[in-house]
Amino acid sequence: MDPFESIKATFFQECEELLTDLESGLLAMERGEKDSETINAVFRAVHSVKGGAGAFGLEELIRFAHVFETALDLIRSGKIEPTDEVVKILLRANDVLADHVQAARSDGSVEHSRSAAMLDELQTLIGAEAAAALEDGGDDEDDFGFTPVQMVVEDGGEAPAAEAEPPTGPGARVWRIEFQPKPEMYVKANEAGLVLRELARLGSTEVDVDGAEVPPLDQLMAEHAYLRWTIKLTTDQDEAAIREVFEFVEDDCVLTITEETGGETFEDEPPAVVPPQDEFDPAALLARLTGAAPAAEAPAAEAPPEPAAPAPPAAEPEGMDVAGLIAMAQKATTDAEPAAEPAPKAAPAAAASAPPSSTASAPAATIRVDLDRVDRLINAVGELVIQQAMLSQRVIESGLARSSAVALGLEDLELLTREIQDSVMAIRAQPVKSVFQRMPRLVRECADMTGKKVRLVMEGENTEVDKTVIERLSDPITHMLRNAIDHGLETPADREMEGKPVEGTVRLAALHRGGRIVIEVSDDGRGINRERVRNIAVSKGLIAEDAVLTEDETDNLIFLPGFSTAETISDLSGRGVGMDVVKRSVLALGGRISISSEPGKGSKFSMSLPLTLAVLDGMVVTSAEQTLVAPLSNIVESLTPKAEEVHYIGGQDAVIRIRDTFVPLIDVGRALGFRDTPLNAADSVAILVESEGGGKAALLVDAIQGQRQVVIKSLEANYQHVEGVAAATILGDGRVALILDVDALVTTSRRKSAPREKRMAV
Amino acid sequence: MTKTVLTIDDSRTMREMLSMALVQAGYRVIQAVDGVEGLEILKSEGADVVITDINMPRLDGFGVIEGVRANPDHRATPILVLTTESDVAKKERARQAGATGWIVKPFNPVKLVDAVRRVAA
Amino acid sequence: MTETQAPQGTGQRRELISFRIGDQEYCVDIMSVREIRGWTPATPLPRTPSFVKGVINLRGAVLPIIDLGARLGLETSAPTARHVIMVVKIGDRTLGLLVDAVSDIINLTEDMVQPTPDVACDQVKTFVKGLFALEGRMVSLIALDRVLPETEAEAA
Repeated sequence: MDPFESIKATFFQECEELLTDLESGLLAMERGEKDSETINAVFRAVHSVKGGAGAFGLEELIRFAHVFETALDLIRSGKIEPTDEVVKILLRANDVLADHVQAARSDGSVEHSRSAAMLDELQTLIGAEAAAALEDGGDDEDDFGFTPVQMVVEDGGEAPAAEAEPPTGPGARVWRIEFQPKPEMYVKANEAGLVLRELARLGSTEVDVDGAEVPPLDQLMAEHAYLRWTIKLTTDQDEAAIREVFEFVEDDCVLTITEETGGETFEDEPPAVVPPQDEFDPAALLARLTGAAPAAEAPAAEAPPEPAAPAPPAAEPEGMDVAGLIAMAQKATTDAEPAAEPAPKAAPAAAASAPPSSTASAPAATIRVDLDRVDRLINAVGELVIQQAMLSQRVIESGLARSSAVALGLEDLELLTREIQDSVMAIRAQPVKSVFQRMPRLVRECADMTGKKVRLVMEGENTEVDKTVIERLSDPITHMLRNAIDHGLETPADREMEGKPVEGTVRLAALHRGGRIVIEVSDDGRGINRERVRNIAVSKGLIAEDAVLTEDETDNLIFLPGFSTAETISDLSGRGVGMDVVKRSVLALGGRISISSEPGKGSKFSMSLPLTLAVLDGMVVTSAEQTLVAPLSNIVESLTPKAEEVHYIGGQDAVIRIRDTFVPLIDVGRALGFRDTPLNAADSVAILVESEGGGKAALLVDAIQGQRQVVIKSLEANYQHVEGVAAATILGDGRVALILDVDALVTTSRRKSAPREKRMAV
Repeated sequence: MTKTVLTIDDSRTMREMLSMALVQAGYRVIQAVDGVEGLEILKSEGADVVITDINMPRLDGFGVIEGVRANPDHRATPILVLTTESDVAKKERARQAGATGWIVKPFNPVKLVDAVRRVAA
Repeated sequence: MTETQAPQGTGQRRELISFRIGDQEYCVDIMSVREIRGWTPATPLPRTPSFVKGVINLRGAVLPIIDLGARLGLETSAPTARHVIMVVKIGDRTLGLLVDAVSDIINLTEDMVQPTPDVACDQVKTFVKGLFALEGRMVSLIALDRVLPETEAEAA
């Protein structure tokens, strides 16, 4: 990628971070944290977006960011009070800014009316006068686009004046420049020599140094500047170009620039370029070297006489050019080094450089690593895990005693492998924050659209989960939040009637539980109207009219395909997808989702996903001579069925009685079509599994081999989805084993029992 | 000898831009993300020129200038401040604190390198 | 394996790998072929067409094995150690084609390939891009992008 494009990519990446900071800062302000640190951070975020945008000439973005920044600046300086109303405007401005960034990134455009309306609002906030000033200030900032230019620059050291091409054309003009630095110039680390060097780049120079003011040594004052230069510059450049050379020092020197009319009358005699040695200005050099502040008491009297003494042997009194002068100056400063005693007043000033009452702690040391590299590492560790398992199996097969050194060594290797795997997975783990932080905006927009008042409370944003999972969280969370606002919360009027606070609360939480990540979305709305849900389900033929359902089961009917409770199709539900689609996508990830609710009090979605989509804890089983893996997360218990516990309903459908309940018995080998003849339950092992929504079933398999962590391999990468199979893995013998999609097996078997679906019957 | 420029800016974009232009021009570039880190790096690694942003968390550009000038080893190290606005007040305040020069953002790489050369021996 | 230089012709030159299924000879573009390996037992996939033999572990990747003969409507072979798997890359996917034996590398030019005649049944026309004669034998050029079942669904 060309460096310019790569920096642009960096800019947009950084914008994302800045927008995140901006939003969390604004949300903090909304919560009442209006300290200067927070406000400053908010300002800085917009400021940086604008700064970068300026460099890339992203006009629309600059314009909007500029107004936004101005508003924030006024808040920062206390001229605007950050009331709740103001913060609300800022939050919306934040959304529009995000749109502008997005538009700039995709070369698209923003919704113009929205942006314009927002600008108006901000300008009203800023006030007419300041806004008018903005109009002027806004544009002159875009003068320089940052365009990559291939540059050839002389080595930063001794830029020889000789290399500057002497202007010869008719455009050449002769300038007389008088330049007398004040001590302040040296205090700021500017150097006369460098200014002269730069000047020499403009054309050919003749330099005359006037050291007349240099006092006798014993009267030298370090903080004084004694030298004065007169330069005759022949150049085709104009005065502005010359002034630019003096840009940094203009206020700290006496400077006159005049154009010589004849161009020949500078001096009759060839100028004596370098003064006699004893007229040189060691004080100025000394001051320059030590950076002696005016406050620094370093009287020349204390300085040893050496600084003046070293007569640079190479320095020839005649014919010395600017570069020679610089070289001499450098030599002199080097020799003067011993005199550069630290000024006594430097110490307190140094203390002042400590961070000012900042609450921000230093960020933990981090490095940025290309994700590809991490992925490669994770893949390699996956192979390591498989290889280690293969090796272990071979050792067991070889009949070595468990206490043998090899077997013990292998055990250690296994522990180590596990540890490496965990560490590597931790590298890729990320806090769910990156997903959560997108939600406040969604909630604001949903609230606007439905006319409801919503407060979003987020918890557990720092809960970490593997990157593979992070990416998949966004969609289900979006849908759960929309559902909670659209269907869960009442209108402000209704809430008032119910005696509830007008503003509804939606809580989004992440937590680790049982080796999985759990995402909860709860609201304090009306809860699920079970009667209505039931009626809809019956009317749509989703359940039988006389079906007996628990409250939980009724609540979870909303996940059935083709179910929608919205009385009117609102904008939200209209463009959204049904909860059945959400559920399907969650299931596909090995996740579960369910809802529970309390009438009048609210509902709670609960979704759990594995912490990673890279490895899985599974139970390795055998069925119909196939080795299969059942995800441990689905398994409740395993048991050996007794013949009298198994009951057949009709021809082939069996149930098993476990304690007091009957659960469907699924012969895995037959369900997957590996075998036609039914398995004799009494000779087999049953694994009680729980599917989404709490549905239970018993999987009948030939035998259980044991528990193992397996590396998940996609079937879809090279093939396609296979019903009843979640993914594949590679076992210790090097062969591929299939990972069962327990939920699909259970659901399909249930459907099979209904007359509608006969596909499963073998 | 290759000159080392220490760039202090909380914006990664800005840091990369500075680096790109300066490295192309033959400078060695060290980056710091805020004033505190900047002063730490200057202390441990040194630099021939310091370029600092003004608005930064933890320690702003004025703090950087004061910190650099207070250090006897770096009292003569040139400091260029990045100002977004052609804000006279900020520039003047930076000058008073001891800034050697300034670069107005958004900058053009040629101007940037010019400015660095004008202060770096 | 031998290398056969087909008679000179005009048009774009191609290198093909030819292989046998039963007594018929087929070929695919050599650029698609990643490696050729011996048969290893595959893990069967539930409810898949009979030409999908299952999946094998290819250095950590799960590789589906397609019985190319069965795919072409020939008799399904019970794989033995003598069978070979041609690992081919089709788009983003890698899969293994089960064939009887790999026989030859053929150099030919595009214009030597004749379109599949109309006499061929639909299945053959789906998978065979063209035919050419080589030393008195007829070789069929396989359209690899058709062999996966889902692409068949698209074609239908």
